[in-house]
Amino acid sequence: MLWPAFNDPVHDSQRLFRQLLQAMAEPGTLEMPRAPEPPREASIGPALWGALLTLCDLDTPLWIASELDSPALREALRFHTGCPITEDSAAAEFALLTSNSLAQGIDFSIGSDAYPNRSITLLIALEHLEASGPWQLSGPGIADRRHLDIGEADGLMARLGANRASFPRGMDAILTCNDRLVAIPRSTRVERTDQEVRPCMSP
Amino acid sequence: MNGYNFAYLDEQTKRMIRRALLKAVAIPGYQVPFGGREMPMPYGWGTGGMQLTASILGADDVLKVIDQGADDTTNAVSIRAFFERVAGVETTTATAAADVIQTRHRIPETPLEPGQILVFQVPIPEPLRFIEPSEQETRLMHALEEYGVMHVKLYEDIARYGHIATTYAYPVKVDGRYVTDPSPIPKFDNPKLHMSDALMLFGAGREKRLYAIPPHTRVESLDFEDHPFEIQAWDEHCALCGSDHSFLDEVITDDVGSRMFVCSDTDYCLLRRGEVA
Amino acid sequence: MYVAVKGGEQAIANAHRLLADRRRGERDQAELDVAQIAGQLRLSVDRVMSEASLYDPELAALALKQASGDLIEAVFLLRAYRTTLPRLAVSEPLDTGSMRIERRISATYKDIPGGQILGPTYDYTHRLLDFLQLAEGEVPTPARAEEALEACPQILDLLNDEGLIEQERDDGSEPYDITRDPPDFPVDRATRLQMLARGDEGYLLALGYSTQRGYGRNHPFAGEIRLGQVDIEIHVEEWDEVICIGEIALSECQMVNQFGGSREAAPQFTRGYGLAFGHNERKTMAMALVDRALRAEELGESVTSPAQQAEFVLAHADNVESSGFVSHLKLPHYVDFQSELELLRRLRKAHEAQRSRAGDPQQKRENVSEEAKATERASKGVHHERL
Repeated sequence: MLWPAFNDPVHDSQRLFRQLLQAMAEPGTLEMPRAPEPPREASIGPALWGALLTLCDLDTPLWIASELDSPALREALRFHTGCPITEDSAAAEFALLTSNSLAQGIDFSIGSDAYPNRSITLLIALEHLEASGPWQLSGPGIADRRHLDIGEADGLMARLGANRASFPRGMDAILTCNDRLVAIPRSTRVERTDQEVRPCMSP
Repeated sequence: MNGYNFAYLDEQTKRMIRRALLKAVAIPGYQVPFGGREMPMPYGWGTGGMQLTASILGADDVLKVIDQGADDTTNAVSIRAFFERVAGVETTTATAAADVIQTRHRIPETPLEPGQILVFQVPIPEPLRFIEPSEQETRLMHALEEYGVMHVKLYEDIARYGHIATTYAYPVKVDGRYVTDPSPIPKFDNPKLHMSDALMLFGAGREKRLYAIPPHTRVESLDFEDHPFEIQAWDEHCALCGSDHSFLDEVITDDVGSRMFVCSDTDYCLLRRGEVA
Repeated sequence: MYVAVKGGEQAIANAHRLLADRRRGERDQAELDVAQIAGQLRLSVDRVMSEASLYDPELAALALKQASGDLIEAVFLLRAYRTTLPRLAVSEPLDTGSMRIERRISATYKDIPGGQILGPTYDYTHRLLDFLQLAEGEVPTPARAEEALEACPQILDLLNDEGLIEQERDDGSEPYDITRDPPDFPVDRATRLQMLARGDEGYLLALGYSTQRGYGRNHPFAGEIRLGQVDIEIHVEEWDEVICIGEIALSECQMVNQFGGSREAAPQFTRGYGLAFGHNERKTMAMALVDRALRAEELGESVTSPAQQAEFVLAHADNVESSGFVSHLKLPHYVDFQSELELLRRLRKAHEAQRSRAGDPQQKRENVSEEAKATERASKGVHHERL
């Protein structure tokens, strides 16, 4: 069965891009994009499918983690975006993965000090995503602090937290769960706060 | 408009620019090289800002275009007319009513709101360019965070004039990392970059670079302890609205040197005079 | 009373109407037709196509008409149109060796296989105004050879038994495309040649000339200049076949330059290359000189002259970019100018105050020591940065 695409590619992808831009500009805020629903048996939800349709094309090598990979997904990507699917994770511009995939020590590009933009953007499928919880985000785009709960994902958050040490090199992440998405760019400081979330005082 | 895509650029070009914009936002103040396209307007006249606007603009957006703070300067009129023609979007002169504001040389006086996007037209995106003309060299300086030459330049000004003699395109440091050119806005506008509620995008078409300052981001104008950054001030008030806190343009009113001062932000001035519906 | 500048929209519309009127000229004269321009001002058309990177004589002629003959404006019009076109296919590399020759000369060999063919050239015309062209005069049809010329091999390839001339090698890599990605300095030769090919002819001519006058001299000889038609072929994947989709006119210049060589490689002539759409001989010669100058580093020569500095040469070669940025100075800069005025007045006030105090010797000493202190701090790079 062929996966659905945007009804109106020009305007639907523009709207979805603006939500991605907003998510990236204000890390930790949930966006709920209007995106076509992939078939029920698909391994990814509409928010992630919409992001792929919006961002990928002939110029963007995509790497897919085995737990998300399927012939149907590949065919849908080839048909709707034409993006080349690569086995070479280090050459990929986008990577499609789950929160567990990063634990496997996959080699992604984090760019160089001269060209930090030549780096991976992770597109992550999560089981759980809430805008409150143990992970505290701060940095550009965040007036004070924001919080996230993404379920069991210590490895992923540790990896994104390590971005600060390699900055400006790093990886940027778009986290999705069903119809919701949130972004954690490399500029974000990620910390675990195990206390109950309470209204924050100014620092 | 027949024969052209919505907002002029083809979808593949928009996607390329959109991907670059996401990286720009993720690395605040870093200049992302992008495959800038020819626009049907000359390089240097806002083609970078226009490509960014064309890539982010949606059919439901309300667009404002200003040049020198004014909605009615010829180039602002021309760019606004372009987007009316190729995207059919609604336009406005009211800062508060706009979703996207494309600007040349000013940040509006009315504070921007969350969700608004300010798109700057940038002629020379490299703040180190007038100290080091080679792109290879300046790229290395950014990579190594080697910004000493910029401070030497500013300090030489102080030695020579007693002041830092940079009055516009005054360099800033974004989130403590990248020294960035805020485009040729007067340094009067620099404080508005700091912890803004709005997203700010910068496009340099001829130089094929784009960069961003996300909302709520630290933006500091370079200075020294003994010569702190300060903004322009006028003894005069706006002759039309009486403002004592906006950036003023000097207007020559006759041929014997009489002059008056008026707000450069025309929308703000009209608003203060109660002339906006 | 001050009235804010309004009515920009009307002013622009009126300016466009006036411009259209001036372009049309006196109405009792016949209007220029695009086919006439394409047919009779073909060297203008060829230059516009080259610098716009779009081979379309009709549209280049239209651009020239619309631009009232302003070449750079016409290049800009065609470039802005080009950028909206979809990329349907990528051609196979052109084989200029199989060119259907219209003109072909060499300054390095007296006699060459295929012969020296002058073709349509201004070279040996006496530059005397031909007043007959003021009136309508019949032009005789040209003398034609009985048979079409055979394909002529490239001279530099043909006469290289001894290995005297450096050979160009295809390393098979996919060339960078400057129309899709911004040049990333330092750039390789393929990228440089692309940038030179769309570079402004006058600019390249001046730089090439400067190398002849000693600023990066590299002793050039015009090995071969050829002009003619070349097939454009594309590979069709579905059929796995290469098919010809048409032909274009090209000018090519192969410059032979003084020796390179090292401990490992025997000395041999080096080369510079120029290629352009249509009949663009001057451009290709200038391009070849500049190409060779830009190879200085690769060939172990010291980079001392403007034409050898890649970033300088290439970043300023595009006339759509340069004319845009120069002309942008016509846009209002009220705000920046006002900022400078404010500072200047402040500095002058301070200067005045200082002068009036200058009679005081104590003050004079303080001024001097303050300045010395500042300079010392700056040179040591000691700054109390507040960030």
